[in-house]
Amino acid sequence: MASTLYMDRNSPIHRLNPVTKLVILVTLIVIVFAIPFWWVAMGVVVLVIVPAAVVSGCGGRLTRIALTILLPIVVVLFIVQGLTFPGGRTALWEWGPLALTTEGLLFALGIGSRIVCLVLASILFVLTTHPGDLLSALTERGMSPKFSYIISSTLQLIPAFQDRANGILLAQQARGLVVGKGLRGRISAMMPLLAPLVLGMFTDVEERATAMEARGFGSTAKRTALTPVPDTTAQRIVRWAMPVVALAAIILPLATGAL
Amino acid sequence: MFSTPAKTDDSHRMRNTILIAVGAVVIVATYLYLVIGQPTEVAESSTSQASLIAIAGYVIGAILLAAGSIHRLPTATIAMIPVAIALNIVVGQLVSILGLPVYLDSIGTVLVAALAGPAAGVVTGILTNVIWGLTLSPLALPFAVVQVVIGVMAGYAARYGMFRRFYLAPIAGAITGIVAAVISAPIAAFIFGGATGGGTGALVGAFQAMGQSLLGATTLQGLLSDPLDKAITFTIVVVILAALPSRFRQRFPFVRQYRVFGKSAPAVTSKSASVTETEG
Amino acid sequence: MITLTDVSYAYPDAEHFALEKVSLHVGRGEILGVVGASGAGKTTLAKIIAGFIPHVDGGELTGTVVVDGADVSELKLSDAVAKVGLVIQNPFNQISGAKYDVRNEIAFGLENLGVPREEMAERVAAAADLLGISHLLDTSPYDLSGGQQQLVAVASMVVLRTPVLVMDEPTSQLDPAGTRMVFDVLSALREAGSTIVVLEHKVELLREHCDRVAVIARETVAAVGEPREILADERMTEWGIGATRFTQAARAAAARGIVPDGAVPVSIDEAAVTFGEEVPA
Repeated sequence: MASTLYMDRNSPIHRLNPVTKLVILVTLIVIVFAIPFWWVAMGVVVLVIVPAAVVSGCGGRLTRIALTILLPIVVVLFIVQGLTFPGGRTALWEWGPLALTTEGLLFALGIGSRIVCLVLASILFVLTTHPGDLLSALTERGMSPKFSYIISSTLQLIPAFQDRANGILLAQQARGLVVGKGLRGRISAMMPLLAPLVLGMFTDVEERATAMEARGFGSTAKRTALTPVPDTTAQRIVRWAMPVVALAAIILPLATGAL
Repeated sequence: MFSTPAKTDDSHRMRNTILIAVGAVVIVATYLYLVIGQPTEVAESSTSQASLIAIAGYVIGAILLAAGSIHRLPTATIAMIPVAIALNIVVGQLVSILGLPVYLDSIGTVLVAALAGPAAGVVTGILTNVIWGLTLSPLALPFAVVQVVIGVMAGYAARYGMFRRFYLAPIAGAITGIVAAVISAPIAAFIFGGATGGGTGALVGAFQAMGQSLLGATTLQGLLSDPLDKAITFTIVVVILAALPSRFRQRFPFVRQYRVFGKSAPAVTSKSASVTETEG
Repeated sequence: MITLTDVSYAYPDAEHFALEKVSLHVGRGEILGVVGASGAGKTTLAKIIAGFIPHVDGGELTGTVVVDGADVSELKLSDAVAKVGLVIQNPFNQISGAKYDVRNEIAFGLENLGVPREEMAERVAAAADLLGISHLLDTSPYDLSGGQQQLVAVASMVVLRTPVLVMDEPTSQLDPAGTRMVFDVLSALREAGSTIVVLEHKVELLREHCDRVAVIARETVAAVGEPREILADERMTEWGIGATRFTQAARAAAARGIVPDGAVPVSIDEAAVTFGEEVPA
């Protein structure tokens, strides 16, 4: 089982070709950076991401994951930049070397809104896209199949690896390894864990490489795919339009001197 | 019949070399732009478009490097990379749960680079961040170029003999850490406003309160943790590899060609006992 | 189909030969079992037939290894791989990890070789059918038992239509049920046209399924012959293999003066017959 955040649902968003979604994601990133006002980022969230999340049926999961990731970062951001922003001039409140400045808060708002938008968009993308489909679609368009192999293989290996790491940890503890107090204790606890993990890694790798060779992995032939990833003309058009939108987002502010 | 190991796919050698060269140039140019260009202006206002150029430069550079590097890698190396990435992620996660003030999320990258060279390090590095982004948190993605640089430097460190002795490896690690801190500082500054975590954020705040610019603060914060983290990582890798039987290490053409671990056993088979030395 | 003539091989950095002066012949459509003590050289032999030695392992190989008309030690690895499919011990390491269901997993090799889509679909369905795993096609390979995973590994080789299939201890990591699954398909595979070499420890199962059995001992082929001949051979212990339980039982009985007529049994059926008869007091 893939260990990405992917949620299997049947929504229009899920059914979109993965490359379409990727292109849209990248375009959003460009827009949010090219016109870096906080209300642009928030606008994208409200007008694009929230509706997409609702349609995809992943809204709940998205909120939970995003909150876990975003909350600490945003809080730290506002505190740190609010209080110590180097360009801060208008102080609302002071305490020694720390000063709560409007410039600092505005800065945090700008950065924060961008991060929120990007995190939400990326997580929604991952929630609605099966990694196998994404990699197939990219390989069809010229990405080396070796990347596809490595990514899928890692995704499916990680749970097995974690199991093995846990197993080794248990075995070492049974032999009297105690996760000691303090920095030194904890670092030295890692070593007896790492050595068997890495050793196991090497024996496996030889066999895996043999198995891969036996199945023609080193072949220089043009690869084919058993299961094609669905695509539509409408999406193809959208994919061509997006870079234009992104370019416009970059050029317009420069042209109109809004920045 | 003596045969060489399976050949790599270098039918597009020219194209790959160009990709790698351009990728490297883009990354270096981006960094120089940020340092020599407009650091103050960028730091002062979150509305600066320099951030877009910075991030775009790093991402595009990293992708070009990876696209050029992947084709040089033989099947045996490719088989190793998923395991190395899993090692990066599992250990990195474990460390953050244990609450240690280090990252230790590059052990796999350095391991692969020491055995198979900088190209393998590049691929391991970039895909570690991609997979971290897909499975744990998208916040890892902007830092992909940093892992790439670690992979490159570890590969060259191995090539120039820094893994031959136990005391050389941490030095190589510390240098790599300095470069990593310096490259990642703009990312931490312009995308995250210095807030990449509780502890790191506090440090950035402290430096800013002392009068540093945002970029200066993130650079200093990085310099406090990265060199140490990478020195430890490189040491762990050299210790583990030294503990492995020589036969495992000598399977890798890169190890044999650049004598990464010191003198190897003679490659020609003979009925006399083989001589192996691990120095250090 | 397979002819090894005077093959000797030493691994790089090795002190002595792993295999010395091995000569072996396997006919088309034959199932050959190969037994030998651990470390005797079974895996080395498997890799030599499959062409992985010397291409991947290096070292020095002398002698000729002719498979389906060509010497695999002189071919490119990709050409050697087209002649010989290889199944190894560890089911987990044979799953590519690149695919999320068994259907695509089996097709992986065909995709690498650039086989057209319709042909792939047919060949995958046929291979799955042959191995009795059609009901698993939509399952993730990681959700299967060890035995099922090995069947998927075999299917992944079968689908490549190699004339020869080499199986290096395919059941050593499997439970009895899994082991049965793998051995039971051998006849089906032979019927579909494969020539098979199975290297194994489980001597009793080899007797049931193999046409001939070869013994590797002291770095060379110590004996080749009919399964029951080989398995009843008294030198089995000397070769580090030991006899089947039934043979041991019969010899123990003989030592106590209970000497049944007929040949020494090597399998449960023979044992039932032998011990079922009136035994002279």
